[in-house]
Amino acid sequence: MTGPPKTRRDNVAVDNSLCRRCQTNAPTVTVRTEPLCSPCFNKYVSTKIIKRMESFRVRHAEAGHERLLLLPLSLRACSIVLLHILSQHLRTQGEKSGRTGYRLHVLYVEDGKGEASVASDLFEMVQHRYPEHTYSTRPLSDALALAGMQELLNPHQATTQDSTANVNSSDLSTLFANLTSTTSRTDLHHLLLRKLLVHSALTHTCSAILWASSTTRLAERTLAETAKGLAFTLPTQTRDGETPLGGVPSYYPMRDLLRKEILSYTSLVSPDLGSLILEEKPRPAVSTRDTSIDELMKQYFSSVEREYPSIVANVVRTTGKLLVERVEEGLEGRGHAPERSRLCFGCIRILQGREAGG
Amino acid sequence: MPPHPCESCHTSRAQILRPSTGIRLCAPCFTLAFETETAATITSSSLFHPGERIAIGASGGKDSTVLASVLQTLNTRYSWGLELVLLSIDEGIAGYRDHSLEAVKRNAEVLGLPLKILGYEELYGWSMDAVVAQVGRKGNCTYCGVFRRQALDRGAAVLGVRHVVTGHNADDVAETVVMNLLRGDLARLGRGTSLVTGTGGTGGEGGFASVKRSKPLMWAYGKEIVMYAHHKRLDYFSTECIYSPEAFRGSARTLIKNLERIRPESILDVVRSGIDMARLVPGAGGEGGSGSQRVEAIPRDAEDDTGGGCSGGNGEDAGGEMARVEETLRLNERAEEEGTETEIRLPAKAVNGQRHDRDGLHTGPPAAALPATVNGQNHDRHTHTPDIAVVPIRTKQEKKSGRKTAGDKLLPRQRLGQCERCGYLSSQAVCKACMLLEGLNKARPRTGIEVRGAGG
Repeated sequence: MTGPPKTRRDNVAVDNSLCRRCQTNAPTVTVRTEPLCSPCFNKYVSTKIIKRMESFRVRHAEAGHERLLLLPLSLRACSIVLLHILSQHLRTQGEKSGRTGYRLHVLYVEDGKGEASVASDLFEMVQHRYPEHTYSTRPLSDALALAGMQELLNPHQATTQDSTANVNSSDLSTLFANLTSTTSRTDLHHLLLRKLLVHSALTHTCSAILWASSTTRLAERTLAETAKGLAFTLPTQTRDGETPLGGVPSYYPMRDLLRKEILSYTSLVSPDLGSLILEEKPRPAVSTRDTSIDELMKQYFSSVEREYPSIVANVVRTTGKLLVERVEEGLEGRGHAPERSRLCFGCIRILQGREAGG
Repeated sequence: MPPHPCESCHTSRAQILRPSTGIRLCAPCFTLAFETETAATITSSSLFHPGERIAIGASGGKDSTVLASVLQTLNTRYSWGLELVLLSIDEGIAGYRDHSLEAVKRNAEVLGLPLKILGYEELYGWSMDAVVAQVGRKGNCTYCGVFRRQALDRGAAVLGVRHVVTGHNADDVAETVVMNLLRGDLARLGRGTSLVTGTGGTGGEGGFASVKRSKPLMWAYGKEIVMYAHHKRLDYFSTECIYSPEAFRGSARTLIKNLERIRPESILDVVRSGIDMARLVPGAGGEGGSGSQRVEAIPRDAEDDTGGGCSGGNGEDAGGEMARVEETLRLNERAEEEGTETEIRLPAKAVNGQRHDRDGLHTGPPAAALPATVNGQNHDRHTHTPDIAVVPIRTKQEKKSGRKTAGDKLLPRQRLGQCERCGYLSSQAVCKACMLLEGLNKARPRTGIEVRGAGG
């Protein structure tokens, strides 16, 4: 049988001591079994991200009315790398066509976890290095003042009209302290962050939010939400684009890169990005009762990532194929907790299940 | 544990802290609660009808032993009028089955239930020890899984029974959900979480093509099953198969165990998530139907995991399966990146139409998605005809439009027919068991069970 044309690889003997792609330089990094040199690796990483920015090419933008995109900067490796590569991208766009396809607004959310002074120093350094964007900061406690939040968190109290006046960071720490498990604290943190970002995007008239989530992170979220009984939200939580509940669309341009690849990238760029990154606190090697579900998934996937990187990507791809459920606002439909409920749909289901014996 | 009164009867001292509810109970109240909850699973989904003949897949392990005991108890207590019979399969692995089979025999006596033991040797002419002697330890789990799945159905037919129950518990189902996510197997994700699966045959058909299979202990925690067996002093014998553990399931099992330590309810939540995801699989019937009590029999195929005892029907050598999937995925990714067509050799199990091209975003020529293999011959390990699937070229145009239609792409439907040799339900012309047997018999001719049309 005459087969289709084979890849170029098959026609040329590959020298494994050289970079697989350019066959010129010595390799410095191994990417999913392929040895690559630094320039090729940098190109690999940038290309993966830029490919996802298709809809923000120069030709899709009106001069002077470029779309503004919100980039939440956690100051961890992934968000710094995203900022770096997009800054490069914008520079290239400018050089090639004299204008850009979009603009970035970089937002840092202070979550009062005690890293505030280190973080603000880093944030300043970032602004020096990439002055072409606009920047702002917001405390996470602002999320408590958003419409509907007070009712959500305190359904039994009478709502005061001027709820904004009562909110400050000590409210936030009390709120977290009252939660009994690490998982619920992580959950609440993410919920507040997401709401705040949507609000910020609308305030700054941003067209979309660009999340720095890697493949690994998306896979962690997939399993974490599955473990909380909330898998039906996965298609909306990890998919590029609009969500059925409206608000601002989310994009995940780093969804094709593994976290370890992103980490390798930080040291192969010059000047290196390490000085801009807020270090993670060291994690315990073994999970204890205090570990959160998200933390457990992080540990799990960092080991799977080492030997089976494509499987990590596959998890995200698989959930991407699931249909999005139509959830209507205000209806106590499938997936929606009743209004003013303190519990999410998943937890309500457990309690009901317990009574029914299921 | 300091003395607490039982939170149910408030009289006896509590001996048990239930993992599922955190409630403290005395032993009798616990066993009663366990039994009542199982009864609820059964009645709320109308799993059995009065007078039905039920075969209990009895391995001698804790799950099936508890299942048999609980069903017997409930049958009497609620006068369901069920005719219960124990069905046990002997794979023919020396030192493994022997002890558990003894346990099954003892159980049959204690419960007063009839017992039927079926061996691979008598069914197929090959015991597992003989298979391993022939093919070695690579891929032997595949034989066992396929044989066992058919064996239960065949055994049921011999007994004149249309409904087989197995002791799969919540931990098993949760592991299966995680495993299928890791593998990217959407089709099995849909089936693994069903309370009942069927073979697609309607009530009128005879033979082993129309046997229903259900798992009444689906919502029970593995830990509680152990506790139940302990407090009722049930006799069981758990073993791990001496041939290979399956890499995917092992990985999933570790994750579930760790998850249980952090939050025990997560096991049930993973199951519920699995059920929800099954609803959202394209082509699975979408948004219809409510929550967890879906009773319709979902068609399954010969390769669905058997669980329990060993690792499962699809197991290959340890680490082998994960590495194999990894390899395939990587090749797919590379082909996609280069935007060229590549001939990719797919692993045997892909041919049942369940593992179509990895990336659902393709809107390329329809001929590309595994056409030849779904309806054609099964890819037998022992022949050397390579099965080729062509990955279509995806231009930028298609990628863009592909993204929008991602959710709408249907999974290729399996065509369920019958094996021409033995009549078993199969999506191929010849079922997997017959194919495997053909390979085995060719290599070392033996007179075994004559299957209809054998040697063809």
